[in-house]
Amino acid sequence: MNSIDTGSGTTFTDILIVGAGFGGLGMGIQLKRRGKHAFLILERADDVGGTWRDNHYPGVACDVPSHLYSFSFRPNAHWSHVFSPGGEIQQYLRDSARDEGLLPHIRFGTTMRDARWSEADRQWSVQTSQGLFTCRVLIACPGHLADEHLPEIEGLSSFAGDIFHSARWKHDVALKGKRIGVVGSGASAIQVVPEMAAIASELVVFQRSAPYVIPRANRRYTEAEKRLFARDPSQMDKLRAELFWAGETNFAQRRNLPRFVREAKEMALAHLHSQVEDPQLRAALTPDYEIGCKRVLISNDYYPALARSKVRLEASALQRVEGHTAISARGERFELDVLVCATGFEATRPPFAKLIHGRDGQSLDAHWDQGMQAFDSIAVHGYPNLFIINGPNTGLGHNSVVYIIEAQVDYILGALAHAEQQQVAVLEADAAAEARYMDMLDTRAQGTVWLAGGCKSWYVDTRSRRLTLVWPDYAYAFREANATFHPEGYLQTQAVEATP
Amino acid sequence: MNPNDHNRSTDSVFVDGTEVPYYAAGASQGDRPVLVMVHGSTGSTDSHYGYLFPMLAFRQRVVSIDLRQPAQDGALTLTQLVRQVGAVIDRVSGGKPVSLMGYSLGAVVAAAVAAERPDGVRNLMLVAGWMKTDAHQQLRNGIWRELRSTSSQAIRNTMLFCAFSAGFIAARTPQELAGMAEKITLDGFVDQQMDLNGRIDIVDQVSKIRATTLVVGCTQDQMVPKAHSLQLFGAIEDARYTEIDSGHAVVFERPAELLRLVDSFLREPSASAAGSILPASRP
Repeated sequence: MNSIDTGSGTTFTDILIVGAGFGGLGMGIQLKRRGKHAFLILERADDVGGTWRDNHYPGVACDVPSHLYSFSFRPNAHWSHVFSPGGEIQQYLRDSARDEGLLPHIRFGTTMRDARWSEADRQWSVQTSQGLFTCRVLIACPGHLADEHLPEIEGLSSFAGDIFHSARWKHDVALKGKRIGVVGSGASAIQVVPEMAAIASELVVFQRSAPYVIPRANRRYTEAEKRLFARDPSQMDKLRAELFWAGETNFAQRRNLPRFVREAKEMALAHLHSQVEDPQLRAALTPDYEIGCKRVLISNDYYPALARSKVRLEASALQRVEGHTAISARGERFELDVLVCATGFEATRPPFAKLIHGRDGQSLDAHWDQGMQAFDSIAVHGYPNLFIINGPNTGLGHNSVVYIIEAQVDYILGALAHAEQQQVAVLEADAAAEARYMDMLDTRAQGTVWLAGGCKSWYVDTRSRRLTLVWPDYAYAFREANATFHPEGYLQTQAVEATP
Repeated sequence: MNPNDHNRSTDSVFVDGTEVPYYAAGASQGDRPVLVMVHGSTGSTDSHYGYLFPMLAFRQRVVSIDLRQPAQDGALTLTQLVRQVGAVIDRVSGGKPVSLMGYSLGAVVAAAVAAERPDGVRNLMLVAGWMKTDAHQQLRNGIWRELRSTSSQAIRNTMLFCAFSAGFIAARTPQELAGMAEKITLDGFVDQQMDLNGRIDIVDQVSKIRATTLVVGCTQDQMVPKAHSLQLFGAIEDARYTEIDSGHAVVFERPAELLRLVDSFLREPSASAAGSILPASRP
């Protein structure tokens, strides 16, 4: 039984997972595989997939190779490319949810509006668009790329043409032959721009700061390769390990070791020089900060698209919009029919945190007024029986976040097993343990390229200047530190008071 | 100075009339022994440990030697290299036991040092090492010497071909391979090391090793096939064994995976019991 209708429209479930992307599905699959069926997954949309459901813009793909950017326990022999298109990742997650029997556990179209811990009942009350849910354990799987960020630009909402965010693509807007503006030059923009360059009459790209771009060693897998993967799955494990350790090697760049930073920079700048001949365009595309400080992008068709005669790189931010006119910070004016905001996501201050209220009624967002933090990157003092997957300090600049998610799922399974064996009703991160953990992270983060690289990035909280989004070490070190539950870091309340 | 060099300092010891440089970096971590690293044939701290040395310095105090050609004429002996490493240990250890890591010929040297200093080496890591040169190695060594003596242009490509796994080479462009070949050191000291490589026999010493030991074999090693690492695993009393899916040049092919093994082992050397075979990582 997944849940109990307690009457008056309230649904009780032992474990409530919020979000059906990689995090929520990974958690659900592992519960299911362990024969634990007393859980529900709330999903605000009508499909699983998280960021891969929302992002269906032309050219969408992942910048981590598919055989690594997938569950280790669900290898897929059929990835079409080394870097498969976003739609394939979405289909993979759909298939995972169906094949693992998760669909009966998922409540689609159910938006969390408010979650509150009741000390008296030792449970969470979660108000949703579909009524009240109560649960013993709340597992939030918000993702870092869930809520789109729109820049505050004067007149943006009164733009006379069509305007949308890259994660809310309007496929019914005709783009062929139109004058299109793309705002931003990050991971989404570099995938959108070549597609728009192919169909627009004119295209302008508003670039606040230039990204580093490195070659994308993409190719199709042959039918023979795919059949080999299916016939001998150990070949997928071998490939996955190779991709993982190649990614890990690049942590030396993020760690800011001079030799590896230099090599990475040379590779990126050589790529720019080989693809862009015009010295002015080259200059505008040369970053003024250290490589890796912002996400390093991979593309073979971004620079060539910018070099086309109908494409204009405006090396300043979009500042103002008047009617059909987009005006840059440098005062350049562009007449446009369509504006695409490839402006990223609310990462350092995630909106879900405003909804979750802990023991003293304070929202997580207010609690995090100096930036996100959590013990073991998963639990927060004052917020009992709450676990956050892919929350504070879980992002990576150099490897697959699915690996991090799997480590966190293992941690939660350990916590649940501990609570069951020791008859613990309430687990709450100890404040001192949380502070020690954050000090450890601060120490590790010092001198990394994210803090020392001289850029403004979504990895760093603007309020505290702390690195709140990224795990500042190897991915393997995250698993070694945070895949095993640490009971000593928790305040524990027994289910039944011990008799004296 | 870049702070990420962890105050790397350079110093030297004099051994048999030769100045032998070594590098030190990183802060001491409680009672964790200082790590002393010994590179392999044709290598140096900056080439073989260009990745591991600075990264390990984030974790603890590390020292790495650059082995040097002895001043005396005549064939290089293992004893000379053992003395060089011993002199560095004496200088940096403060009389306390050290952790010692060796790669390739450096693993042979490290094993001999550990055998000679049962109380001076607490933890030992032997990566792609061996204890007795066999006919398979001698065959390759002979080809190398013939190419070298005839100044053959094929020697660098032959070395690449032997050092890296097939898959690693297959994934590189011709330009990348040419760049790698160009970087290979060939000099009189390398000749001496290759000569020494052809006549290693430390079987008797290895049985005397008392250190807590991790032996790392490389599954696709054509220069020191993993059978040699397995022999070391069998011969050393307090040894555990694991593998990396790589050619002999693991310090270039899988540096981060090797770092993880060293990092984990040094944090808790006895986490796995003597005789354990540690499973390969499955990310």
